[in-house]
Amino acid sequence: MIVDLLVIGAGLAGLIAALRAAEAGLRVKLIAKGMGALYWTPGTIDVLGYLGAEARAVERPWERIDDLPERHPYRIVGARRAQEALDWFRACVAELGLDYGGREDGGNAHTPSPAGAWRPSYLLPAGQRAGDVKDGRPMVIVGFQGMRDFYPHLIARNLEAQGQAARAAVLPWSVLSERRDRNSVQLAEALDEPTTQQRLIDALRLVVKPGERIGLPAILGREAHSQVLTALTQALNAAVFEIATLPPSVPGVRLATALRRSLERRGVRVEIGMEAIGFHAQDGMIEFVETATSARPLKHRAKAFLLATGGVLGGGFDSNPSGRFWETIFDLPLTTPQDRRQWFRPLFLDPQGHPALRGGVAVNDAFQPIDAAGNVVYANLWAAGGLLAHADPIAERSLEGIAIVSAVAAVEAIKAGNMVHV
Amino acid sequence: MKRMSTDVLVIGGGSTGAGVAWDAALRGLRVILVEKRDLTHGTTGRYHGLLHSGGRYAVKDPQSAIECIEENRILRRTHAHCIEDTGGFFVVTPEDEGDYPDRFKAACAKVGIPCEEIPLKEAFRREPLLNPRISRVFEVPDGSADSFLATHVTAQAARQAGAQILIYHEVIDLLTEGSDGDRRVVGARVCDVVHGEEVRIDAAITVNAGGAWAGKIAAMAGVPVNVIPGKGVMVAVNHRLVNTVINRCKMPADGDILVPVHTVAIIGTTDERVSDPEMLTIEPWEVDLMLREGDKLVPGLSRSRILRAWAGVRPLYQEGYTGESRDATRALALLDHRQRDGVSGFLTITGGKWTTFRLMAEKTVDKVCEQLGVERPCLTATTPVPGAEQGHYWLGHRLHEVEEARLQGDLICECELVTRAMVEQAVANNPTVTLDDLRRDVRLGMGPCQGGFCTFRAAGILHQLRLHAQEAPPQTEVDGGLPWNVAYLQSPRHSVQAKPAALNPKVSPLDNPNLLLRDFLQERWRGLTPVLWGRQLKQERLNELIYLTIMNVDHLPEDGEASPLTEFWRFDAVAGAKEDGR
Repeated sequence: MIVDLLVIGAGLAGLIAALRAAEAGLRVKLIAKGMGALYWTPGTIDVLGYLGAEARAVERPWERIDDLPERHPYRIVGARRAQEALDWFRACVAELGLDYGGREDGGNAHTPSPAGAWRPSYLLPAGQRAGDVKDGRPMVIVGFQGMRDFYPHLIARNLEAQGQAARAAVLPWSVLSERRDRNSVQLAEALDEPTTQQRLIDALRLVVKPGERIGLPAILGREAHSQVLTALTQALNAAVFEIATLPPSVPGVRLATALRRSLERRGVRVEIGMEAIGFHAQDGMIEFVETATSARPLKHRAKAFLLATGGVLGGGFDSNPSGRFWETIFDLPLTTPQDRRQWFRPLFLDPQGHPALRGGVAVNDAFQPIDAAGNVVYANLWAAGGLLAHADPIAERSLEGIAIVSAVAAVEAIKAGNMVHV
Repeated sequence: MKRMSTDVLVIGGGSTGAGVAWDAALRGLRVILVEKRDLTHGTTGRYHGLLHSGGRYAVKDPQSAIECIEENRILRRTHAHCIEDTGGFFVVTPEDEGDYPDRFKAACAKVGIPCEEIPLKEAFRREPLLNPRISRVFEVPDGSADSFLATHVTAQAARQAGAQILIYHEVIDLLTEGSDGDRRVVGARVCDVVHGEEVRIDAAITVNAGGAWAGKIAAMAGVPVNVIPGKGVMVAVNHRLVNTVINRCKMPADGDILVPVHTVAIIGTTDERVSDPEMLTIEPWEVDLMLREGDKLVPGLSRSRILRAWAGVRPLYQEGYTGESRDATRALALLDHRQRDGVSGFLTITGGKWTTFRLMAEKTVDKVCEQLGVERPCLTATTPVPGAEQGHYWLGHRLHEVEEARLQGDLICECELVTRAMVEQAVANNPTVTLDDLRRDVRLGMGPCQGGFCTFRAAGILHQLRLHAQEAPPQTEVDGGLPWNVAYLQSPRHSVQAKPAALNPKVSPLDNPNLLLRDFLQERWRGLTPVLWGRQLKQERLNELIYLTIMNVDHLPEDGEASPLTEFWRFDAVAGAKEDGR
């Protein structure tokens, strides 16, 4: 079967592109090597948190995109279309039971990181919004004895140092589990059970003071999250929020799960464990992508292909000691310096990020990969997400924003390009 | 100013300094050791971990070879648990010169190194990844050593014999009396760099064991000592590609040793004469050379995942020598400055190598005793350090103990199997100023993720310990009678059995978890940048996601603070753009 669109990559960009295309009536298939980077991220939609050397966080992201490099994905799309894409995202995930929202003034919310710094995010799941600095009420950060990925005293200390009234409390581990070797996702699954929820509520009653917001590690249910959140809020008569910590990250898992289920309901095949190992092109058009399986290579034919393999983090780029940096499937031209000595700056936390990680796939206004001369590389290939050039989504805190905005823009371009018949 | 007095002041907390303190304390002398950073922060903590059989020097430097094999036999008893009995191979690759192997065998026999040529079939059975074109294999009693643990337990043995070990105490000046021709060193002014306090230490004899920094120390007494700083670059590969130390059977050169140490294999080294022992920049060509030479021992080594690269500076010494550092002698050098420069009360011990540190200490303390006019025999060759009763190290010990005691849920560093209790015990009982100190104690952050997960966890745990310490300060004193034995620093099971750790505010004075975090991330970054490509770069990008996207550690409060090492981990150029085509 020849699908209209083959999406490669199961991170946020790939999932969103597949969903948007399916919604427009395209026949879509998604293949990916792994589960995608959403499993690692805090589940917030960060649009733009920091601009290069400016120490202060960006207040209103859409008012600052002209300060980004000229070919930054946001500048290709423009603020208006970018905001439309995020509105569409909100509506989409709301239907899936995930309530995403942000500050009403269009500014970044600031919620505590697991180290106690304020994270700037544009849209947050309901379970994180009560942590916004703007709220002003004191916080109690509640951890669990021996939980290796969450340190409430550290968070409270740093919040206090930044003027937010905060204190730490620690509950016994046995509230959550009898086993010591549970990670965040397993603890969240434990809290899907009403008996565990009740134990947590009973334990929290003993430590929470009136008027305090309650900050907990992001383990408040995997499937039953909104029910857990409501139960805690009502039983304790207090605002409750989650702080997403080291991977695996439950809020990211919830978002990935919801998007994949939505795709499956729309009849989109999502095939994980499919590593693209080659492709065939003729007359400047890609005919198929080949994937490795245990038995034999499989050919995936499509009219249009969308690459969303996520750069270095997602495995879309590879590199070697001789200084070569390449895109792993189509060997697309990259803007990354091909000289190892130019890849990194001396300080790990350099606000400018590192040149090796800002390079990527350059695209035209239709999000089609182009070469250094500006020519489209393959007439039926588009790209979206973390692999795009002229952005460092981690240094900028723009990871999810770029993923959503570029994926939507690329699908719009595919539809408009008469490559497929809608 | 605080004032202390002692018989022997030892300057330098590397293997040699710790050895001198141990030896002198065992002979009943009063000893104070000062080290400007953590124990083993210098060259001792930056070497490949090879316990020499002496084979490497048998042809070129027989005196060094004899010292090596004798000390090898002694350390296997006194420091058994710091040594893995890997054995060593000297292998002849197609590139290695014609008659060297036979000269090597004869030279080993002459200096008393057990050396046996073994059938190729057996060599390849034991080390299947070895280059199949290797034509001859000789087996010698090399081993692999944990120089961090060895120095810690040596210092602990010295403490138990009455020595005081003062880390993060930097010598500012040597105190001298008398005039030219009849001068005498009578101690030193040192600075407690953590608390910013000066201390005057009066000493009958001052021993300069500053290693690569020995020249700088000697200069404070107006004595010229030209240490030849020979920089060696080492690269750690993410697997134990071999379980035996592999040496090329040829004249010592670059990249001809592959040492299995704990969970990794280390290929080393270069030997580059540098102007300054703090000049630890690693050039791309140095890494490339290590990988290229490594491929000759284990084909495909260069395509393995590379974890880290680092450099150490050898404190080579040869009176009047001006040539290349590779050809300078590895023999130890004990300088009696009374005889050499007319400055009494002052000795410099340098040269040598890790394997011979005990011997260097013995000769030094013999001279100390002679000058103090006392006659006491050296006891170190027959006195095991704490923990030696555990026998030789074996790779599986941590996993075994974690599984036996079901500690999987308490792992703070999954790569190196470090539990929370190990971290707490190490912090409570060994001065921890930075997380890098903890790395040397328990191997925190040394594995594939290079601190990705454990840096945050360790900073959180240290902060919590610190809070508890403020609530209820512990009763124990810093020196002497530690409740927990340094010898078991690396044992997950032992740290469970030990009584709960309480941080002693006197030994871990820094109270800023944000600084601990940022410093350690930068320390790891410095060792990563020379080898960041492929899968290790992907790992690094995940670490960025954790520390920027999730943690936002670049926007924590208190940006201005610095530890004594914050500046040290900065480096101005990843590569000095030096391309000399090697």
